[in-house]
Amino acid sequence: MDFDLFLLFAQQGLASGVVVGSVYALLALAIVMIFKTSEVPNFAQGEVFMASGYLALFLLVFQGAAVWFTIPFTLVASFIAAALFRRGVLTQVAKASGSPVNLVIATLGLSYILKGLVRRTGFGDTPRSFPSLVPTDSIMIGQASVTKLDIAIFLTAVSVMALVFWMFAYTRTGRAMRAVGMNPKAAQLMGVNLEKIHMLIWGLSGVVSAIAALLISPKILMTAEMGAIVTMAFAAAIVGGFTSLPGAVVGGFIIGIVENFVGLFISSRAIAVAPFAAIMLVLIVRPQGLFGGKFAIKKV
Amino acid sequence: MRSLYALRYIYLLVALAGLIVLPMLTSGYVVYLANLLLTFTVMCLGMHLVIGECGQFSLAQAAFYGIGIYASGLCSTHLGWPFPLSMLVSGLVAGVVGLAIGFFALRMRDIYLALATFAFGEAMQWVFLNWKDVTGGPNGLRIAPARLLNWEIISDKDAYPVVLISAMVMIALTILIARSRLGRSFRAVRESEVAAQAMGIDIRGAKLAAFGLSAFFAGVAGGMFALYSTFIHPDSLGFSTTILVLTMVVVGGLGSIGGAVGGAIVFGLISELLRQAPSFQEIAYGLILVLFMMYAPKGLFAFIGETFSRLKHG
Repeated sequence: MDFDLFLLFAQQGLASGVVVGSVYALLALAIVMIFKTSEVPNFAQGEVFMASGYLALFLLVFQGAAVWFTIPFTLVASFIAAALFRRGVLTQVAKASGSPVNLVIATLGLSYILKGLVRRTGFGDTPRSFPSLVPTDSIMIGQASVTKLDIAIFLTAVSVMALVFWMFAYTRTGRAMRAVGMNPKAAQLMGVNLEKIHMLIWGLSGVVSAIAALLISPKILMTAEMGAIVTMAFAAAIVGGFTSLPGAVVGGFIIGIVENFVGLFISSRAIAVAPFAAIMLVLIVRPQGLFGGKFAIKKV
Repeated sequence: MRSLYALRYIYLLVALAGLIVLPMLTSGYVVYLANLLLTFTVMCLGMHLVIGECGQFSLAQAAFYGIGIYASGLCSTHLGWPFPLSMLVSGLVAGVVGLAIGFFALRMRDIYLALATFAFGEAMQWVFLNWKDVTGGPNGLRIAPARLLNWEIISDKDAYPVVLISAMVMIALTILIARSRLGRSFRAVRESEVAAQAMGIDIRGAKLAAFGLSAFFAGVAGGMFALYSTFIHPDSLGFSTTILVLTMVVVGGLGSIGGAVGGAIVFGLISELLRQAPSFQEIAYGLILVLFMMYAPKGLFAFIGETFSRLKHG
């Protein structure tokens, strides 16, 4: 490969990587948010993402609903569904046994229910394309070609991240969420309603996943299996240390760029192995992740 | 209490006798199903060791199972090895791969094992599909009949005694492990890592041993599958097989060997029925996982027992 071609590939990989990376970052953010407050990695995050994408597709294409209605409706529905799962199911699971293993199994169950439901509706049988709300003509940045849609994806994702960070840093609810992540018992003693915070966190992570789905769907063919990209998000979260919100974002961008580089320089078929390779590499070289501090045992 | 134990042994003997005479009474599909259920029993025992005994996650059982199938299939097809040897090799290969992943994944949080194995399962399915020289890729792999000296296994019925004995050996092995010092350290780690560590248990070592053993069991199950099957395709080695095994263990009851075996058989039969309605299969697995975690975390058998005694004693 001569140097000019290398430069072209590198620029293109970087540009496309940053775009998909911003979507991975959103999903990783949703995963880390939940993990920080309840020590549960939500294995259904990918299916929440997939199901909300299908809800939007159903409203927009099959019901002919307007965009101004579809987007808020999808976000609100995802919020309510995720919060209800936390309140209706996980609270009962915790009451029945209290072991984190059981909570994780319940999220695996949810992922299968959502996948099965979407398949039952019949929309998941054939790959569907989601209409793009933004024109897809391309623009050149350096030597890399990106579409206006790509730029819209990136800008929306970054603003959502900024909003999430602002909420965690400056609002009362955000502070309560952080307190629950540090020490649930102490937070409760300070008057934080644990149940409510858990519901809000789940709802919020549902909304963030729904936004990720709305952003990426026009770029891919939708299938009931599209939730599988959650592996990329898990890899991103591990790169970032799994308990750090900024880490999740940086990890998302890294995984997005790595995925594109693997696709361009090695083979597009090798992408399936990339998340596992990335996870193992992080675990071998820097197991605490880029932003994870020293790991300490919390409970005694 | 004594009579209760005696009763249990009688039940076990009846069940065993039933398993032994099964191929004489039935044929074809039933024997194939019995082979398959016994294979899944061994997978469930592996899942039981890692999640039920030690409280850790392995979400790559299907991948280790696949490694076992291909290892055993290749040993007997290309090298012509006798089947006990190729079964052992398939277990060992899966176990070693498992140990290598677990060694790194367990350096940090427990949950990294679940995530790393989750990603490993997908990566392995890709490998099975694309490493055409070894696995046959999307065309699948034809497995030569298993052989030992002059004896060649060509039907499900021929394979059945070997499968049954292997399953019994693996059940015995699981019981031995559970009763050994190692098994006690698994449960100690599950209940409280800090307390286990204070008792001088090497918690990382225990987790790694549990995970390695579960991979070994899945590999042996793969070797068992290669005995009676002539063909393997990567499609049946995906994440849904892992979820099937997990559902079996959950239905039977997390943390009990009897539960793992009973769950494999009861839910194995249910899933065979669900095969008629594939679109409900995923919803059914998911609902079972969620509902059991909500209302019957100790599994079906404990749930029935508790309900009965509540009805009896008011």
